[in-house]
Amino acid sequence: MNKYYFFLLFTLFSFGLTAQAEYTVSGYIKDQSSGETLIGANIINIDNPIQGTSTNTYGFYSLSLPEGKYNINVSYLGFQSQSFQVDLNKNLNFNVEMSEGVAMEEIVVTSDREQRKANVESTQLGKIDIPMESVKKLPALFGEVDILKVLQLLPGVLSSGEGASGFYVRGGGPDQNLVLLDEAVVYNSGHLLGFFSVFNADAIKNTSLIKGGMPANYGGRVSSVLDIQMKEGNNKKYRAEGGIGIISSRLMVEGPIVKDKSSFMISGRRTYALDLAQPALKGGDFEGTNYYFYDLNTKWNYTFSKKDRLYLSTYFGRDVLVFAQPKRDFSFELPYGNSTGTLRWNHLFSDKLFSNLSLVYNDYQFEFKGRQEDFVFNLFSGIKDWNGKFDFDYFYNNKHSIKFGANYTFHTLTPSTASASNGEVDFDTNFKPKYAHETGIYILDDIKFNKNFSLNVGARFSAFTQMGPYTSTITGEQFGKGDAVKTYTGLEPRVSFKWSLANSTSLKGGVTRAYQFLHLVSNSSSTLPADVWVASSELVKPQIGLQYALGLFKNFDEDNYETSIEVYYKDLKNQIDYSDSYVNDITKEVENSFVFGKGRAYGAEFFLKKSTGRLNGWIGYTLSRTERSFPDIENARWYPASYDKTHDLSIVANYELSKKWDIGGVFIYGTGKLFTPNNGFFFIDQSINLFYGPRNSARLDAYHRLDLSATYTRHPDSKRKWKGSWTFSVYNTYNRKNPFFINYDTNVDFNTGETTIEGSKITIFPVIPSITYNFKFN
Amino acid sequence: MKMVTYIKNSLLLIASTVLCLSLSQCSEPYTPDAVDGTQEYVVEGYVEAGSSLPTYVILTKSIPFTSNISQETFASLFIDNAVMTVNDGDKDVELTKLCTANLPPELLEIASEFIGFKITPETPNVCIYVDLANAITKEIGRTYSLTVNVDDKVLSSTTTIPRHIPLFGFRWDDPPGEPSDTLARLWVNVDDPVGTDYYRYVTGINDKGYVAPFQSTTDDAFFDGQKFEFPLTKAEYPQDDADPSSFGWFPRGDSVHIKWYNLDKKHYDFWTTRDFAANSGGPFSSYTRIAGNVEGALGIWGGYSSSEYNLYCPPK
Repeated sequence: MNKYYFFLLFTLFSFGLTAQAEYTVSGYIKDQSSGETLIGANIINIDNPIQGTSTNTYGFYSLSLPEGKYNINVSYLGFQSQSFQVDLNKNLNFNVEMSEGVAMEEIVVTSDREQRKANVESTQLGKIDIPMESVKKLPALFGEVDILKVLQLLPGVLSSGEGASGFYVRGGGPDQNLVLLDEAVVYNSGHLLGFFSVFNADAIKNTSLIKGGMPANYGGRVSSVLDIQMKEGNNKKYRAEGGIGIISSRLMVEGPIVKDKSSFMISGRRTYALDLAQPALKGGDFEGTNYYFYDLNTKWNYTFSKKDRLYLSTYFGRDVLVFAQPKRDFSFELPYGNSTGTLRWNHLFSDKLFSNLSLVYNDYQFEFKGRQEDFVFNLFSGIKDWNGKFDFDYFYNNKHSIKFGANYTFHTLTPSTASASNGEVDFDTNFKPKYAHETGIYILDDIKFNKNFSLNVGARFSAFTQMGPYTSTITGEQFGKGDAVKTYTGLEPRVSFKWSLANSTSLKGGVTRAYQFLHLVSNSSSTLPADVWVASSELVKPQIGLQYALGLFKNFDEDNYETSIEVYYKDLKNQIDYSDSYVNDITKEVENSFVFGKGRAYGAEFFLKKSTGRLNGWIGYTLSRTERSFPDIENARWYPASYDKTHDLSIVANYELSKKWDIGGVFIYGTGKLFTPNNGFFFIDQSINLFYGPRNSARLDAYHRLDLSATYTRHPDSKRKWKGSWTFSVYNTYNRKNPFFINYDTNVDFNTGETTIEGSKITIFPVIPSITYNFKFN
Repeated sequence: MKMVTYIKNSLLLIASTVLCLSLSQCSEPYTPDAVDGTQEYVVEGYVEAGSSLPTYVILTKSIPFTSNISQETFASLFIDNAVMTVNDGDKDVELTKLCTANLPPELLEIASEFIGFKITPETPNVCIYVDLANAITKEIGRTYSLTVNVDDKVLSSTTTIPRHIPLFGFRWDDPPGEPSDTLARLWVNVDDPVGTDYYRYVTGINDKGYVAPFQSTTDDAFFDGQKFEFPLTKAEYPQDDADPSSFGWFPRGDSVHIKWYNLDKKHYDFWTTRDFAANSGGPFSSYTRIAGNVEGALGIWGGYSSSEYNLYCPPK
């Protein structure tokens, strides 16, 4: 199999290696107003659109063509396209600055047709880019704009629960999504038990979700990639934007340090809902109790030369819960959150060879610090990575676009480590951090065979080694520092193709095999802050995912309407869960409570999108099934995973009512959430105890909800430096009582001896109006 | 001026939101669509070294989901046609069936306390199975097998009585925080030997009987081989209203009874999963299936080594 695969690769790379006099036009595509590079902008030869390319993550493009004169068109969603003529008799460096679409009388969102064609013409399968501007116009819970909640409105992406920002992609678990913020892994993307994401919309430039056909440059997760880039910072002028909302406020400032050469961006957000409640708590049983979260994003970049550019981006976020009960002299503090730092060096070796060297640090930490008199209790868990990446984009010619690179990560995983002291006595679980090396090398080629057929073929080779110091729980063998305990390796072929059937119609397909060496298992319906990431080890094998996807893509009405139907089948090996009788015990390492099994998921996704005109938006519908089977859970019965949802429908619309008023709406309908029903009771220890039916064998009522928003901009054409707008949002407009979970209350009448058991459906979010004032200052 | 109006309107909106949230009806009754009517056998039996309590087993049936369980329903769950045998390693001892129908009325109150609900002469017959002659040798280190023959079915289980590590050095002091004249904190000592031990305890106030705290078990993973003092939390009676300011403290001037157990791994797993299940479920936790140790039935056949302490919490 492997020999065959490499033979295929060799054949493909050899294809088209003909000696022709070719020259290259290359450069950066940028936003004229801010100098921000544009990711995924299309550059094509108008007369022969097959001769085209797109900008990479850093806004760089390179297009090689035979000697001659060409009309080149550059397009990017929401921007006015630009055309220019080049006489290609030598290599040319040509940077393009694009201006945002002008709001004309009828057309509000100007998106270029060539850009929209990418839906049918790109080889990439199951990739969706989310422009932040459109996200900000959609209704949001408590007015908090959240990119992850918008992703959940796409077919194939499910929410982990009412109001939650956690997501599941095509039957994959919540830990199977690779969430990257400027290349740094974000291990916990939720604030406030996942109700809000850590991604502050003001700081984000671009968001891409790849739910199928993951290219080989991404590794480490088996289901999807969420790749988020922060803004670089306006390198032409200083500006600020922000918002004041019901529960939080935010501010982003950006500007040039050296005009057109260096810029910065700094963005912060903090909640204050409970700060406002502090006077009410004063003197009460819980004086001093508080909860808040905050985020801080920063980015700096410096262009040293035409060939070298340096970026430094950081993120720091924390949730802090303080619980105080002064009358009992009891208090605890519970801070948790992520921090990331990414240093990147872009270097152009030639007009065709772009490289990026990244040094990345990221961590996620969870801490609990409790105290009562002399008794002190601490709990800590976390994961920390040092990561080095070297990636190359080789724009070989207009038929071959090659990426290759290598990646090394040193992981430090600290399991839940508890310690306590009571006066002079100390207690400790004595759990030691675990260490691991993870490496990956990859190569991929995006090949355009002809006008109709293109292929993206690649492979990734991954290796993961658990390192000492470690004492084997199986053999008792002791491993010292630097000793390899267990190594796993895996070959991950990735292939996808595009076959144009007719004008504006194409068939795409792909097969992706992926390994995952880090795992997060949760005992809850979504992940919780205290859930611990666990590395593959002598006990825990890597997860392996194999996904097959096939899609029919068609655009209508001069590409104003994009449609697609995609089907997928996913096979998951070495899946991990807790047993039915799992008890969360901080004195035990979680891997000792794992059970191992397999999973499968299949479904069909239907998508209709209109991105032009005053009315734009999309309709997404998914029909799917997600199942798991574990020998230690109900004798390997295939049961639906807790996030299995047969039907999932989202309708998203934005309408430009006038220059001053924008209205937005979201309607969601989904099959009810699965749960394990209570089948009855038994009587032990003089009390009632519940016993349960088969896992996930009952469903809550169907979920549906309508959210509406209206954005009012008082002076849309104002030239004033300060521009403000009000966003009015209503979550769950018709107050649908969507059950969040089932609760059982047992009440015993001690006089009559009679016991009543009341099951109740608990709803957490009724109709919630909110208002946010957003501003921009130039 | 207009900005002031904006802010005022915004505040009104915020206030109405908060009002809406606090007034909203967030809960609706839920009844399962179809309930599996299968009833399972439920075993609850203990063999205890260090106590005069005879070995006994209660055999009941589970009850399908229902919204109301009357005393009569409770009583009807008890099974009175079983034959039970316990092997203590040396011999088989058949347990004696003891039924409330045969008890004199003056003993019904004692039986009520033991079983957990009020038994009157009108209550249907409730039977338990007891080693009346105390023929079973209850010793640390022994393994006990239980065999239950009922309705042509055989239910079986084994348990052990592990070593016992008693409490000592009891003392009282004031609870932390706000001074109190009516409450006290109980300090106890334990000298945990090296090796895995499992503990459980229950507390009682005056003559109200024993009750387990919401987390009644622990192993010694956190303190293996250590000798230390710790505050023992009072268990709350379910019929008492929960009061966060007195939770866990003992009432001064009352008698305090502590029963302190050691138990084996499976027995410990049963109580741990049971305590955890009682507090799990809901939005942020999955269900927990209580881990029993009886083949063919729900429930527990548990060995204990125990000690009992009768204390007096002095008035201030």
